[in-house]
Amino acid sequence: MLISPELILAIFGMLVLVVDLIGRARTREWLPWVTVLGFVLAFAATLYIWGSNASIFAGMYSVDMFSLFFKLLATIAGTMIVLVSIDYLRGRTTRQGEFFSIFTFSILAMTMMASSASLLMIYLSIEFLSYTSYLLTGFLREDKKSNEAALKYFLYGAITSAVMLYGLSLLYGVSGSLNLTDIATAFANTVDPSVRTVALVAPALVLAGLGFKISLVPFHQWAPDAYEGAPTPVTAFLSVGPKAVGFAILLRVALTTLPIYQASWIPLLAVISIITMTLGNLVALRQTNIKRLLAYSSIAQAGYMLIGLVGVNLTGNSPFSGLNGVLIYLFAYLFTNLGAFICVIAIENATGAVNIADYAGLVRRAPFVAALFIIFFLSLAGIPPTAGFIGKFFVFGAALREGFLTLAAIGVINSIISVFYYFAVIRAAFFLDAKDPSPIRITPLVTAMLTVTAAMVLLIAVYPQPLFNLAAWSMGMFGVVK
Amino acid sequence: MIPLQFYLIVAAILFCLGLFGALARRNAVAILMGIELMLNAVNINLVAFWRYVKPAAPTMDLAGQIFALFVVTLAAAEAAIGLALIIAIYRSRDTVNVEDVDLMKW
Amino acid sequence: MLDRYGIVAIFALLAVIFPAIPLLLSLVIRPKKPNQSKKATYECGLEFEDFPEEAQNVWVQFRVQYYLFALIFVVFDIEVVYLYPWAVAYNTLGPFALVEMIVFLGILILALAYAWRNGLLEWT
Repeated sequence: MLISPELILAIFGMLVLVVDLIGRARTREWLPWVTVLGFVLAFAATLYIWGSNASIFAGMYSVDMFSLFFKLLATIAGTMIVLVSIDYLRGRTTRQGEFFSIFTFSILAMTMMASSASLLMIYLSIEFLSYTSYLLTGFLREDKKSNEAALKYFLYGAITSAVMLYGLSLLYGVSGSLNLTDIATAFANTVDPSVRTVALVAPALVLAGLGFKISLVPFHQWAPDAYEGAPTPVTAFLSVGPKAVGFAILLRVALTTLPIYQASWIPLLAVISIITMTLGNLVALRQTNIKRLLAYSSIAQAGYMLIGLVGVNLTGNSPFSGLNGVLIYLFAYLFTNLGAFICVIAIENATGAVNIADYAGLVRRAPFVAALFIIFFLSLAGIPPTAGFIGKFFVFGAALREGFLTLAAIGVINSIISVFYYFAVIRAAFFLDAKDPSPIRITPLVTAMLTVTAAMVLLIAVYPQPLFNLAAWSMGMFGVVK
Repeated sequence: MIPLQFYLIVAAILFCLGLFGALARRNAVAILMGIELMLNAVNINLVAFWRYVKPAAPTMDLAGQIFALFVVTLAAAEAAIGLALIIAIYRSRDTVNVEDVDLMKW
Repeated sequence: MLDRYGIVAIFALLAVIFPAIPLLLSLVIRPKKPNQSKKATYECGLEFEDFPEEAQNVWVQFRVQYYLFALIFVVFDIEVVYLYPWAVAYNTLGPFALVEMIVFLGILILALAYAWRNGLLEWT
């Protein structure tokens, strides 16, 4: 029962393939809905095993509240992305079954990453997610940009994952175990100074692989190209999915395996966080393609989230434990960034345009989308009353509590910088005249998804208590550590 | 018996060669070969560690060997996907040189 | 020490003898009717016309179907990596391991069926 969400996703991934194989054209119309059914069932299964805290498969797989949080996130993201990709894929590809099957497997990979408690599972699940992401990115085979995006994504991913793997092998070497908690025990019991050296170097190598998934500087170069070239629903997925579960593994490794070396990895992460958000925001200022702009924006967002891990302190009973900040931020970011991308998809479906200049006069052509752009951009910039503000409040609060004043200040300055480029899009949409003032028709499914994401962004802001509880439950298992 | 360091040094050299190849070559297939070299270096590491770190009961705990097996399979999967992407690129623009794949910049 | 190398030497000798026997045998019993086609340089899968007479240029483009076949072959090639330890440990694992392996192979066969149905195995 403990792995029922994973089993459901695996079965549905194959079911979609079988239906695609034996079904007629009429049956294939139902493929996205079969996929959605799979995600909904997996979501329900996750709720059904809610509260479990078990370690299965010889300690390799940990079904705890922390992993269940990310499984909820994965299935929610999966459902929304499938629903918006129906209209997008129509006319762009004939191989829809393949797309939805691979996509289901990538959500499966996300749920597996969330539960990984051994170096082997971490490597397997990260690679699983990477491979499916490469294929989704290059899915439009005839499209040159899609090809190029996939190749760049693949080459960066393959090199960083090999570096990460080398780090994993060193961790195994100094501890003699693949299990994260056993490695922590080995580190705590050792008196050998060389172990300490390796325990500093190996996680830095592992960070290359995780930083690639999260798109931290300097492992971010793939992100703008992959985001621009990938089919837009896939871009939306890449900006939330791998990032979220990349954080899941980063948090799990940092807090269960390496807490005794906290003093040495916190400065490293603080520096990476500063570089990531600053570079992301500064480069975003001069982007003209909305998908690239959101790519750099999402790099910067990863920098903000990392602040929560820098300011982590699980002792005491403070509302700012850092860890809950990261989880709240991720949840808010999921709806915000997906919403922003669904706006982009809505416009792209109707006009094919992805440049900011094409958004001129959007307020007359598609007032609903233009209005929602404001909500999502306010949330991305962290301005109340939106979900993004709640997330930033908790990560910056944790940094302040731990005395990282400079880090928090740089974070706030960066948020202000980000307002400029978000506002550039708003300015085009509201204050410039359109070349072609004909109204843009938004399909009902996309409208529905826009409404849901916008409602969630506002709801989290005005009634955040359930999310606080969710975050508090999810991090409960880390309470025993340090 | 040959000391553990020898294996680790060989693996480190192999890994650096692979990394250099992956970063310095411009042919996408050659980059792929560099990556395979890096993965093989990791395999040497894993099996050497498995043999030396817990010599008391090497038959009971096969973690390092199993890990190496998984790396072998994933390397094959990675090569397959990589070659598929390279073929797609080749079909659309007649080159496998990564410097010519530059539609998108900054 | 020396007898161990002796075993290696015997194996090396056998490795030469075994392939040599069928080659010699076929040399003795096969009919000899050479023609142009048979004497031409041959490489598996490349058609005779692919080679111009003036140069036996090896830098020819391979057909993409090779790659597709190789890809599907690799899947079933690599699968043996898992089958072998499974077979070695089968006695201690019990019948549930058989079910697991059937599921695993079923997934691979589903992929093969998908490739087949989509015409990837057609040599056109």
